[in-house]
Amino acid sequence: MTSAKDRRRKTPKETIFNSAHVRHVVAGRLYRNRYIYLMILPVVIYFLLFKYLPMWFLRSAFYDYKLLKGFEGSKYVGLKYFERLLTNPNLLTYIGNTLKLNIVALVFLFPLPLVFAIMLNELRSPRFTKCVQTISFLPHFVSTVVLVSMISTILSPSIGSLAKIAKMLGRTPINFLSIPEYFVPINVVSGFWQCVGWDAIIYVSTLAGIDTGLYEAARIDGANRWQQILHVSLPGLANTFVLMLIMQVGQLLNVNFEKVYLLQNNLNLSASEMLPTFVYKTGMESHNYGYATAAGLFNSVISILLVLIANTVSNKVSEISLF
Amino acid sequence: MEQIRSSVKKHGNQGFIRRSPGEKLADALLTLFMVLLLCFFLYPLLNMFSISLSNEYAVLRADVTFYPIGFNPQAYTLILQSQELWRSFANSCFVAVVGCVCSLIMLSLAAYPLAYANFYGKKIYIFLILFTMWFSGGIIPNFLTMMQLGLYDTHWALIMNLLMSAYYVVIVRSYFQSIPISIVESARIDGANDFRILFQLIIPLSKPVLATVALWVIVSHWNDYLNPLMFLSSRQNYTLQLILKELVLNAESSIHNVSAVSTSSTGGAAALGQQTRNAVLVVAMIPMCILYPFVQRYFVSGVMLGSVKG
Repeated sequence: MTSAKDRRRKTPKETIFNSAHVRHVVAGRLYRNRYIYLMILPVVIYFLLFKYLPMWFLRSAFYDYKLLKGFEGSKYVGLKYFERLLTNPNLLTYIGNTLKLNIVALVFLFPLPLVFAIMLNELRSPRFTKCVQTISFLPHFVSTVVLVSMISTILSPSIGSLAKIAKMLGRTPINFLSIPEYFVPINVVSGFWQCVGWDAIIYVSTLAGIDTGLYEAARIDGANRWQQILHVSLPGLANTFVLMLIMQVGQLLNVNFEKVYLLQNNLNLSASEMLPTFVYKTGMESHNYGYATAAGLFNSVISILLVLIANTVSNKVSEISLF
Repeated sequence: MEQIRSSVKKHGNQGFIRRSPGEKLADALLTLFMVLLLCFFLYPLLNMFSISLSNEYAVLRADVTFYPIGFNPQAYTLILQSQELWRSFANSCFVAVVGCVCSLIMLSLAAYPLAYANFYGKKIYIFLILFTMWFSGGIIPNFLTMMQLGLYDTHWALIMNLLMSAYYVVIVRSYFQSIPISIVESARIDGANDFRILFQLIIPLSKPVLATVALWVIVSHWNDYLNPLMFLSSRQNYTLQLILKELVLNAESSIHNVSAVSTSSTGGAAALGQQTRNAVLVVAMIPMCILYPFVQRYFVSGVMLGSVKG
């Protein structure tokens, strides 16, 4: 059936790249999209300059980088900074604190928005529900500096409300921020205050999407409120919950660095110094950019490993995967 | 909010049918618990506000809780005179507003080709953007880049730093895609070029997503502390959060050892009373409070947009 026409197509002159027609089409398509190319031009320049150039600067981990001299004037030191990092006696404490602060926050703070959403859903008065929810959003817009100021006011041993309560109970007020053991609880409670209302939004919306018929059917079958929560609300939220969990684990080591940094002081340093704060201090306060970059790279590697582990686990457990 | 109301409605009528004493008790307990939770949410904010308006002795005796004791607005008259505070306030406003406008324009420019055009290099373009979602240079390389580009100690360093992220581009793109492509096609047939289609057709149709992203960008600029700390060096460029930190937290150096972050003198800030400190915090929150009622309706849609990424 191969006709003369088909055979003619295979002649060298007519292959795709030589064809005048195709070239015409390509040119036409390029020309038709000229505005599109104009549009992406600033975007591409932005990404190259502000997202990819920093990746290029990652090689400062191998240099004794000096700001004014650049790479040419700085000494190449090879793996010196990685060696120094791995032999740093405090490294394990930093990693331990990083994991402790983040994992404790995850374990306590992650399920609570779900509980809060179910409670909101069970309230009888719509007006009250709306009022509670609106107020619960507020803390999300409070900046870290303001949050830390409020924490230090409330926990202050002289003018704080907790000190007042302690005095009324006949105890000596203590300075919570100077005791390492209290650092993780302070971090978790303030995290709860700031995030629970906001993080609950997604569950509230999901709950609103559950078919009312399911509740009615459950009620007809004799389920009480508790059983309705257990057998209708919770299963309806399961998928969202797992998805949010994976996304949360994905940014496990990135969160609340600013808050930890601001809450830090010399007395609680043994519980509050973590990898990102160490990176920041080494770079911005000691101006040891090479060492800081090496430590930052190390932190990224750990964080990517955690995401991969989380993804594998969730793949096995629930067949929902991020990648 | 509509959704919440409807979800409550579905439970509402069951109460009229039959409510056992046990259930009534459970409802009462739940309401009580919610009221306590409300107090927990509001207490730190009210406490801050009350201290700023209270009389010094009441503050020092730690009597102030939910409401001011011995009304005294002197702290506010004091901070009205602080030039440095207002200059940093203006700086923050500049960064937030200019940053927000630039972000919205750039995000629209970035998302439009992804949603509506089929051009050579699109795959490379997508990869260029998405790769930054998984991997980034990190804090220090970011700083070195800004140094290299000569943006150090300018507000543009802050604006550029938060201008675009892959995440926002994906969100805007998915909203653009939900607009019927036939609108774009008919505009093309009518001879409109892509810029006109974007600015006169797509952007007006995408107000919800742009408002949501605008809210996120403004809030993150306004509340940002570490980036200004890194990128700014001269005091006249300082943003509000930096000044706040100095005024409020450095004064408590016994509690907060702020190691070598800012060695410059705090200009008598240590003498600031508790009321003044809290008044400064209240003033810093005013813009967010003004914004709050306007943007509130975008909260739910915003979070839903965020959750459907990828």
